[in-house]
Amino acid sequence: MDQSNLNASGTSPLHKALETRSMELNFGPQHPATHGVYRAILELDGERIVGLDSVIGYLHRGIEKWAEYRTWSNCTPIFDRLDYLAAVINCHGYVGAVEKLLGVEVPKKAQYMRVVCDELNRIASHLIWLGTHALDIGAMTMLFYPMREREVIMDLFESMFGGRLLPNAYPVGGVRLDFPKGWEKACRSFLADLPDRIDDYEKLLTGNRMWVQRTKDVGVVSAEEAIDLGLSGPTLRGSGVYFDVRKAMPYSSYEDFDFEIPLGENGDVFDRYICRIREMRQSARIILQALDGMPEGDLKGKVSKIIKPPAGEAYFTVEGSKGQLGFYLVSDGGKNPWRCHVRSPSFVNLQGMETMCKDGLVADVVAVIGSLDIVLGEIDR
Amino acid sequence: MEFEVLMNTVGFPLIKILILLGVVLTCVAYTVYVERRLLGFFQSRLGPNRVGPFGLVQPIADGVKLFLKEDLVPLFARRFIFKLAPIFAMAPALVGFSIVTFAPNWVGADGTEHSFVVADVNIGILFLLAITSLGVFGIILGGWSSGSKYPLFGSLRSASQMLSYEIPLTLSVLAVILMAGSFRLSDITEAQQQFFGTRGLYYIVPLILAFAVYLISAVAETNRTPFDLPEGESEIIGFHTEYSGMRFAFFFMGEYANIVLVSCVGTALFLGGYDIPFVSDAALYASHPQLTSILSLASFAAKCSLFIFFYIWIRATFPRYRYDHLLKIGWKVLLPISLVNLLLVAAIKAWPHFQDWLGGAAG
Repeated sequence: MDQSNLNASGTSPLHKALETRSMELNFGPQHPATHGVYRAILELDGERIVGLDSVIGYLHRGIEKWAEYRTWSNCTPIFDRLDYLAAVINCHGYVGAVEKLLGVEVPKKAQYMRVVCDELNRIASHLIWLGTHALDIGAMTMLFYPMREREVIMDLFESMFGGRLLPNAYPVGGVRLDFPKGWEKACRSFLADLPDRIDDYEKLLTGNRMWVQRTKDVGVVSAEEAIDLGLSGPTLRGSGVYFDVRKAMPYSSYEDFDFEIPLGENGDVFDRYICRIREMRQSARIILQALDGMPEGDLKGKVSKIIKPPAGEAYFTVEGSKGQLGFYLVSDGGKNPWRCHVRSPSFVNLQGMETMCKDGLVADVVAVIGSLDIVLGEIDR
Repeated sequence: MEFEVLMNTVGFPLIKILILLGVVLTCVAYTVYVERRLLGFFQSRLGPNRVGPFGLVQPIADGVKLFLKEDLVPLFARRFIFKLAPIFAMAPALVGFSIVTFAPNWVGADGTEHSFVVADVNIGILFLLAITSLGVFGIILGGWSSGSKYPLFGSLRSASQMLSYEIPLTLSVLAVILMAGSFRLSDITEAQQQFFGTRGLYYIVPLILAFAVYLISAVAETNRTPFDLPEGESEIIGFHTEYSGMRFAFFFMGEYANIVLVSCVGTALFLGGYDIPFVSDAALYASHPQLTSILSLASFAAKCSLFIFFYIWIRATFPRYRYDHLLKIGWKVLLPISLVNLLLVAAIKAWPHFQDWLGGAAG
């Protein structure tokens, strides 16, 4: 309602009584659907959203600064804690940047193994996203089915790296160990099951009228807006923009594999949902190709025990599960990074919140946050 | 002599009320348990199975836990209303049970009859509708008096939701009343027993539209998924955000008592109530009255469980509707359907009279 208008004519007691104000609502930081400690200050007219202000920083741990006090090789575990749902891909991003600084060639076998683990992690991250997104919209059973499948991936990681959620996956220069005995078989049997399971999820959601009503034409962001906002990953591709780091700037031998980049059309919550669902299928395809074409060779390139990259800077970017994940490292030739900066996809994607939520309802905020797939560890760093 | 009169007017009803309360509250507690177990099975997990055999003591443990919890009243709450609201939420649901007929009259050894209903009043359904619509006050007052924004949203949503769905619910019940020609639940059950032959045909068959409307509106009335907007855990946390301990438990039990109540009423209205399927009840009752009473009670409980299972099932399956969709469905889909259905039933019922009138006019 136009307030200035009301105030201008509103001197009588009746006008004073009828004067309406928008209501401010703190959405978070303690809220079950904000996926962490994200806070949105909503300005509401009834249940309609007039304005949205994002407040972040509740999970700030100073990881970028912290990295400056750790040696190059000791930095990997702390970057696992950025996007804790896709720790393997984070690790890949960091070691990739260090390898670029060092100018080390990663052996082909290690590259393929990294692709396998990255894509497994992407599937795991998307499964978590699917479960929580569906739970936010009220489909509580959908939380548990993806968790069941994710458990298999976590077990695979455990036998491969020793850790499950934050496995500290790769050393600089390659991978630590070959796949353990029986690992490939377990991985293949999981991948054989996965398409059926995804079909099950789609049966529960994609064709469900209620789900479609809740997600179609909600949180729309056009292709131009998405590019202007700097969105990346499935959030960008949901708007129909063909950009994926794996295709645009192939790293770790992604150019060897045949896979598609799923695109949406309208840029609404439903399209982003469909993009991620299809991406899981594509990831499974990539893993199978990598396992089939696994070359023989060394696991690790020539890297000295104490890493001291020559002075200089490097920017390396990978396709994280949430979007484009970039690591900018500056070396002064010492044994720890002189400066480190992370371009975290969730942080940039969060910029889209206001565009997507404006004129929506409170219930849509939940759907939009879910569709952005934010991880607060990565936003606050 | 005086003692007998006193017993019949006050004593027996009081005993009945106490028994009913005990049974209903136990049912409510175990509905929660069954829901959690079933949801567990739906979701490939086990559900509560640690307390007692199969977790059967879980409801008691939960009750004790809630009872011992601190009873918080927020600083900005309107204290009196805040404390009153949980009672408003729970009491109407329990009072509603007083008119439900669970089985045909029990014939004692000396030939006296005792009915399985607390108050077999002739305006039963009207009374029920009036009482259950009071339940919304508990939610509205509770949410508003909390002095907090999230509960306020919950109560606002609940107000519009309950109002919108009360109307289709009532209209679908009206269709049954037209068919049976009585507001009394026991009459409606008997009408179904004698409808279309002696074995009975339940109203779910001719009134399938009304049944569908009743089913959906009842889910909305009880604030269950997919219409659980007033609670909306992941959106607005719910109208009872600020409540703790026993006061929260009152809201919780009120909700489940409502579920059991709409299941009971739905059973009575559409599934033939306490009628035993595939058997001529009247004949059986004439020969074995006590056995019939027990079997009828079991039959009623079984049909009621079907309803409750259905509610749990849809909770496990569907996402939540959005506010505007919810109102759209209520006003643009359910209301027209129930109105058309009501008109159809009225027309069919009036047809013989209309023919008489036509004949009279011609003659």
